Amino acid sequence: MTTKLVLKALTIVICLFVISCKHSDEHKYHTVVDKIEAETVTPENLTVTSETFNENIKTVKIEEDGFEFLIPERKSQITSFNCTECHTKPIDKLKQDQVGEKAAHWNIKLAHAGSEIMNCATCHTSNNMDNLHSLTNSEIDFNYSYKLCSQCHQKEFKDWKGGAHGKQLGGWAPPRLSNTCVNCHNPHKPAFEKRWPVRFNTQKVKERQ
Amino acid sequence: MSNDSKKWYSFNLNKSDKSDSCGCGSNSGSCSDEKPKDGYDQIMDVSMDRRSAFKKITAGFLIGAGAVSSSCSVVSGDESKEKSGIEWDEYFKGNYKLMTDEDKTETVDRLTRSYELRTGKKLNMSSKDAEEDVLFGYAFNISKCQGYMDCVNACVEENNQDRASEMQYIRIHEMEDGKGFNFEESDDNYYHEVPADGHFYMGTQCFHCDNPPCVEVCPVQATWKEKDGIVVIDYDWCVGCRYCMAACPYDGRRFNWKTPEVPEQEVNKNQHYLGNRLRKKGVMEKCTFCIQRSREGQNPACVEACPTGSRTFGNLLDPKSNIRWILENKKVFRLKEDLGTEPKFWYYMD
Repeated sequence: MTTKLVLKALTIVICLFVISCKHSDEHKYHTVVDKIEAETVTPENLTVTSETFNENIKTVKIEEDGFEFLIPERKSQITSFNCTECHTKPIDKLKQDQVGEKAAHWNIKLAHAGSEIMNCATCHTSNNMDNLHSLTNSEIDFNYSYKLCSQCHQKEFKDWKGGAHGKQLGGWAPPRLSNTCVNCHNPHKPAFEKRWPVRFNTQKVKERQ
Repeated sequence: MSNDSKKWYSFNLNKSDKSDSCGCGSNSGSCSDEKPKDGYDQIMDVSMDRRSAFKKITAGFLIGAGAVSSSCSVVSGDESKEKSGIEWDEYFKGNYKLMTDEDKTETVDRLTRSYELRTGKKLNMSSKDAEEDVLFGYAFNISKCQGYMDCVNACVEENNQDRASEMQYIRIHEMEDGKGFNFEESDDNYYHEVPADGHFYMGTQCFHCDNPPCVEVCPVQATWKEKDGIVVIDYDWCVGCRYCMAACPYDGRRFNWKTPEVPEQEVNKNQHYLGNRLRKKGVMEKCTFCIQRSREGQNPACVEACPTGSRTFGNLLDPKSNIRWILENKKVFRLKEDLGTEPKFWYYMD
């Protein structure tokens, strides 16, 4: 009698086990994070590439703290580069020649930190306008201007290197191409401006009436 | 398409059919009943009484009658015959999940040709399958979004959404600082200068859950999760019951209450069968991570349009991808995580 009962109970338990456990691939992982961890591949094995989407953008390759990626080349995008074509002499000498005339770059008004922290000469070099300079006066190429920004904006720099800050261009697939600081932020006026949204849904208004 | 892989009846007007003596398609050996039934057989191999059989046959006959009458007609031209042939084949084609690569190419060709017959314009439609070792994920920076809605416009244009009902997959919610994620009180249709003081912006769309409730409830298996994690819809298999719409906890799905209108010159001709091809009345649609772009390695249209860099898209299985760095280094969260839907769409802050 008891053996029979035990046998019956055992059969039920086995049946329940078989029914309840889905052994299909669909439910192999408890969470998506488990799935990501288990199925991560070595980057070398990935076949998809975004090269065709980056073809029209001139890029430079950078390497910072083990992160290797592309950023858009800058110098060819600057109007009237080389700067030394006009800036033949240091600023104070040029000023003497131009007394009474309208100053060049009159439309640039610096809205980047306070005047006690920054002025034109914080980044631009009076006697060599084709390059920028760091806080310690070492030369910085315009193509690598992020080095200048990163002196103060350390947190943003860290996020940018990793990929949490800054727009990714072209495709998601390697090689990675990210905007550099000045592609989104005007260095003379880095904050994003207020503007009207590009869309207003009139049907939604009707639906809600 | 060979006979043994055929899962539904097709109206092969221009092809010669070789007939087998046996229904199972094999010429050698004996026929066994072990062949799994799917597609056409599932529906057709059902025992029924004479009365209901006649009913069904009559109904089927009426549907096909239109197509047959014009395709076999002597008076109608070649084009209208071709059109009817396409219509017939499209009407009786199987579920996309059951299709072989060949079937997929055929239906894509038919849809392209049908569009050409209708408008005289060429389409570029793909049926590209998921790549190996790819699982798509998305990250959204709520500190960076300014609420400009450039992403919404880009999405509508890319995905041929109905202009008349102003359908949009993406919603940007304007949230008040200090109130948390309060969707009831937030506005997703604001119109004033943004970013408004004291507010932040949060975008929602289909999150392509790894455990999608919308897929579970579909009574006809017209929606499913692809291998690369994209939840897709076969618009030709959807019956429009809107169960999925009710099951989605994120308002990710949209329904076509009437035939979508897209001006011909605005139609995005770069299409995917499971993505932005033109929809019809009475079917569901939603964000597909721009499957026609992402399967080629490109970013979705919203990512490309965002001027603030709030949107990051990538391969979760690539340890060097931006999205992986975000997941591993930023404090990320997902909406309604306690539901166990496992969305592949993470939010983070600076």
